[in-house]
Amino acid sequence: MNALQTLRQIAIVTRKEIKDSARDRRALWSIVFSVMVGPILIGFTLNRVADREREAENVRIPVVGRENAPALIEWLDQQSGVVIVDGPADAEGAVRERTEDVVVIIPNEFADRFRQSRPARVRVVVDNSRNDARSTVQRVLQLFQQYSAEIGSLRLITRGISPVGVRPLDVEEVEVSTAQQRAAQILNFIPMFIIMAGFIGGMQIATDSTAGERERGSLEPLLLNPAPRVVFVTGKWLAAALAAFISVLLTTILCGNLPRFLPLEEMGIRFHVGVEHLPGIIAAILPMCLFSTALQSSVATLARSFKEAQSYMGVLILLPMIPGIMGAIYPIGTSAWMYFVPMLGPYVLLTNVLGGRETATAAYLNSGLISFAASLMLVRVTAFLFGNERIIFAR
Amino acid sequence: MIKVDGLHKRFGAVTAVDGVSFEAQDNAITGLLGPNGAGKTTTLRMLYAVMRPDEGQIRVDSIDAVATPQNAQSRLGVLPDGFGLYPRLTAREHIEYFGELHGINGVRLQERARELIDLLDMGAIADRRVGGFSHGERTKVALARALVHDPQNVLLDEPTNGLDVMSTRAVRHIVRKLREQGRCVLFSSHVMQEVSALCDSIVIIASGRVVAHGTPNELRNQTGEDSLEDAFVALAGLDHGERA
Repeated sequence: MNALQTLRQIAIVTRKEIKDSARDRRALWSIVFSVMVGPILIGFTLNRVADREREAENVRIPVVGRENAPALIEWLDQQSGVVIVDGPADAEGAVRERTEDVVVIIPNEFADRFRQSRPARVRVVVDNSRNDARSTVQRVLQLFQQYSAEIGSLRLITRGISPVGVRPLDVEEVEVSTAQQRAAQILNFIPMFIIMAGFIGGMQIATDSTAGERERGSLEPLLLNPAPRVVFVTGKWLAAALAAFISVLLTTILCGNLPRFLPLEEMGIRFHVGVEHLPGIIAAILPMCLFSTALQSSVATLARSFKEAQSYMGVLILLPMIPGIMGAIYPIGTSAWMYFVPMLGPYVLLTNVLGGRETATAAYLNSGLISFAASLMLVRVTAFLFGNERIIFAR
Repeated sequence: MIKVDGLHKRFGAVTAVDGVSFEAQDNAITGLLGPNGAGKTTTLRMLYAVMRPDEGQIRVDSIDAVATPQNAQSRLGVLPDGFGLYPRLTAREHIEYFGELHGINGVRLQERARELIDLLDMGAIADRRVGGFSHGERTKVALARALVHDPQNVLLDEPTNGLDVMSTRAVRHIVRKLREQGRCVLFSSHVMQEVSALCDSIVIIASGRVVAHGTPNELRNQTGEDSLEDAFVALAGLDHGERA
């Protein structure tokens, strides 16, 4: 058996597995769906963050008893993005029932007390347990403080006192967790979703062509063909890896197009995945696709049934999630050793590429070679298992 | 021609095949007859090299099938127990997939597929996916797939099991045709009538051993029984209860 014949046989097996699984519509859709879920989730979350920002700027304030403080209402109305509406009869109820984020109540005695320069009470009804109303509430409180400070200053000036003297502190709030950063944190999940896409994309073929093939009883006839076992295993592995690679490309394209649908610029976020990133992404991810599918094939071959193989896949999928989640929560520093860990190396490379950081070619080589070597080892293991009668006949 | 000598196979404490020896000639149909669990399938699996014998020799056209299994497989066409088809591929694609793996391609492969589709009279179903096929139709696909590389030796593991009358006749017709073409056909069955109607030579296996080997007439003479079925029962040692 010459090398060319072996390569041809591998190609035949790969082509058949691709054709076979492309006809499995249900599996195909489940892959497409799982691959799209990540980018869609990111898009949805970012959109919410952006909406929240806009909401906080444009605030609608329901006021009960606006006739008691016409000057205050007029001032509020003049502030940018503020709309005053009549408040509901049951203010507390409305906030509790979440029909309103905030309701302002101006009591009857407001005008009298204001005129007498006594503290005039304004009630702001809020529900502090609600995260989504927080920025609106903050804005309303801020507006009243601002009004209060302005009137206070005017009163001092009419009494001939400089208002500066009664402001011993000038407190400036420096917000560290800006919406921008929150959004950037969400974007940190993109490398993880791309890696997951590779993992999920190859899973179907990796299990169906090994555990599934055996369960259907088609493994025995397949092995009747005059070829070394490693030919069948390699052909199936490459088919799975190809599927994994295609889902990575799909996810990357989807993520690259996120800025079209999201007001990222408006939020001051620079996020861009373009064609020029593709070589870097491919160099980072292709070896991972080979590795993850080789691993999946081995594990699925070891399983006694297709069902068992699938449940093992459920555990394996945690593997690519570990660096992703860790990386999104605690941005990990990059160390040279990371490139030598099969799942971690590609993740770090990918974050570098997407973050626009320069990465040494050696890092790509190290990560790629390690993944490739590990894949070949796993393929040998699977080929060995394919030679085992207990495995072939699932005893 | 297939020559088997002193084949042994154990699974843990169970000895499935215990010293099986026989020959299956070219230009003849050899029946491997035995009750369920006698070791027929295990013997065949060792013949077509998906199982390794613990001991013994197998020669396929004088090729050592234990030492060089792939060379032997090139000369074997096999219908295994349970056909193992791909539900999402068509009948023709099955034939082509195995043909390609045997190194046949291009026009030759297309012609070969057409030939087999004609031979097995499956023109109407050739380009349908096998997922919805009847048992008889699936048997045809598996047979066509087994014959794609024009093998000199054909092994059929209970090919007529579960088939209706018409399909059984079709399979018998094919088997006879294969003999006419000068091939060595070895087929296993637990059905006496099947074997007596078809075979030139019969190997009776019971509990992993060959208990008799000969033409139907020789077996009848050997046991002194008039019917082959009684001969089979006597030889396979299945008659303890009946005669007591």
